[in-house]
Amino acid sequence: MEILHNLSSGFLEIIEFNNLLFCFIGVLIGTLVGVLPGIGPVGAISLLLPATMKTTPLSSIIMLAGIYYGAMYGGSTTSILVNIPGEAASVVTCLDGYQMARQGRAGPALGISAFGSFIAGTLSIVGLMLVAPPLAAVAIQFGPPEYFSLMCLGMTILIYLASGSIIRAIMMATFGIIIGCIGQDPETGSTRFVFGVPDLLDGIGLAPFVMGLFGISEVFLNIEHSLEVRGIFETKIKGLLPNLQDWKDSIMPIMRGSLLGFFLGILPGGGAVVSSFASYGIEKKISKHPEKFGHGAIEGVAGPESANNSATGGAFIPLLTLGIPSNVVMAVLLGALMIHGVTPGPLLISRNPQIFWGVVASMYIGNIMLLVLNLPLIGIWVQVLKIPYRILFPLIILFCLIGAYSINNSTFDIVLMLVFGVLGYLMRKYKFEGAPMVLAFVLGPMLESSLRQSLLISKGSFLIFFSRPIAAAGMILTILMLISSVIPAFRKKREVIPIEETT
Amino acid sequence: MNIHHILGSIFWLLIGAYVTIAAYKLGLGYLRKPGPGFIFFCAGLLLLFLASIDLALTFISRQKTYNADKPLWFGTRWKRVLMVVGVLWVYVYIVHVLGFLFSTFLLMVFLFEAVEPTKWWIAILSSLITILGSYCIFELWLKVSFPTGIMGF
Repeated sequence: MEILHNLSSGFLEIIEFNNLLFCFIGVLIGTLVGVLPGIGPVGAISLLLPATMKTTPLSSIIMLAGIYYGAMYGGSTTSILVNIPGEAASVVTCLDGYQMARQGRAGPALGISAFGSFIAGTLSIVGLMLVAPPLAAVAIQFGPPEYFSLMCLGMTILIYLASGSIIRAIMMATFGIIIGCIGQDPETGSTRFVFGVPDLLDGIGLAPFVMGLFGISEVFLNIEHSLEVRGIFETKIKGLLPNLQDWKDSIMPIMRGSLLGFFLGILPGGGAVVSSFASYGIEKKISKHPEKFGHGAIEGVAGPESANNSATGGAFIPLLTLGIPSNVVMAVLLGALMIHGVTPGPLLISRNPQIFWGVVASMYIGNIMLLVLNLPLIGIWVQVLKIPYRILFPLIILFCLIGAYSINNSTFDIVLMLVFGVLGYLMRKYKFEGAPMVLAFVLGPMLESSLRQSLLISKGSFLIFFSRPIAAAGMILTILMLISSVIPAFRKKREVIPIEETT
Repeated sequence: MNIHHILGSIFWLLIGAYVTIAAYKLGLGYLRKPGPGFIFFCAGLLLLFLASIDLALTFISRQKTYNADKPLWFGTRWKRVLMVVGVLWVYVYIVHVLGFLFSTFLLMVFLFEAVEPTKWWIAILSSLITILGSYCIFELWLKVSFPTGIMGF
């Protein structure tokens, strides 16, 4: 009953015109970035972060969250119609979605993808609503050692899932910690690595860092090649409502995908990409006709699309209850909450119930908005796909420039963004991954303070991380994962795991 | 041997070495009360260690990691990337002098025209629309105050 009461108060928050408007803008932009290859949810969220500075924290988070789950809806459109995933979580949808389109079944593929996403998205919100409050109650008892070990575990899982060299992924996470801690020492007040630049006293801003690393570097990579117009598979999209047989084939994959996505979303380092691949693998394995997969099986669209949407709901749990982001998008959202003066963690639900329940309620509304945006209005998104990149990239650069400048009204932030843009571009050329760096950048200051506090408590003994059950479990898992990544048999398996969303 | 791989490792090796030394100078403190350089020292040392392993692996491993024979910029329009970086760098310096509207207009014309050539009037029109749109959204609606420059706008 208490949950229903809280949820109704969340709905009262969200039905305010401003919040509804920001929810709509969020899911609209989310669908747009999902449809457009070349910019993903991380880039879009960091790009729009400065634009939310004038709004309330709730409106801001509603909009930024809307971009995240909206991108999951939009990503399938390009996968199905162009065979190019709009964002990483829709890569696997290309396999059967595009084949369905080639067979004249683009409508049912888009339809089941939207309905599956809606069902999974709604189920994951229910899960978030049920799991988060009790978990937050437990997390209140966590101290610095527990937080330190959980953050180490989160970063290790993300490193483990990185697609390239694990050594290079750890190097990037290490560098992320270094630049995340630049600025004044929180305890002694002494300056660290500021090189006499007053703008660096408060540290490097999240927005210029992420916009440079993902937004600007993506533009540089794209303009390296000829900016020709993408070819869209010319087919008339008809019959968006799947028929009875389609529903029979898809309903169980949707349910399985929802469950799988939700739990993988909760795990640190897990998320939409991993869950969509896992769902595809499971559906193919248990199917009576695995040979149909890759040739237009509707289960191959329904399962992964449901899983990636469900994962977005699950991913909010560690962020809102522990204050630990489980993936890069959540890391950026954590930064957004902090900028607005809201500290995510076990006390968020009790101290800022309007934010937690408002976000939950906005997700219900947002999912309905997305269903309307993605089914009747599919024709508009197909037209959006035809916008040439030579028009898009100047706009992306302009938004990045304005975004970086407007937070502190400082051109120094533009310089920082450019530096990280060039660094991100070179990193991609030299096969270094940005995702572990961003997560470590956000977690760096928290990691440092929890490490120093733990050592203060234990009078300098590292055994404190192994003498408390939750901290010990986290540290042991972290060590096991690091060891397993250097054992050849495990390493081989790790290499086929797809990269988490990086743009 | 892969020259790109080696270059990448050496870059991070140097960064790691610099951070370790600078962090040591900041003060490490004691284990029971870590100082301001403690986390940087640990991270710098780890970076140094990992970059060394990464570098060593290039010499030990016989397997080529990626396109060892092909230059990274082969067949790409890297000069355009360099040009855009240069122009953005100049933009940062002229935005306070010429003001946001005029300097951003010039930047947009360059981006629309120079990277993928199109008709001049299309580039100018697209830039005007973009600038006016962003001015309305950010300056008038979201109240972001942009640099005005010597011309006062």
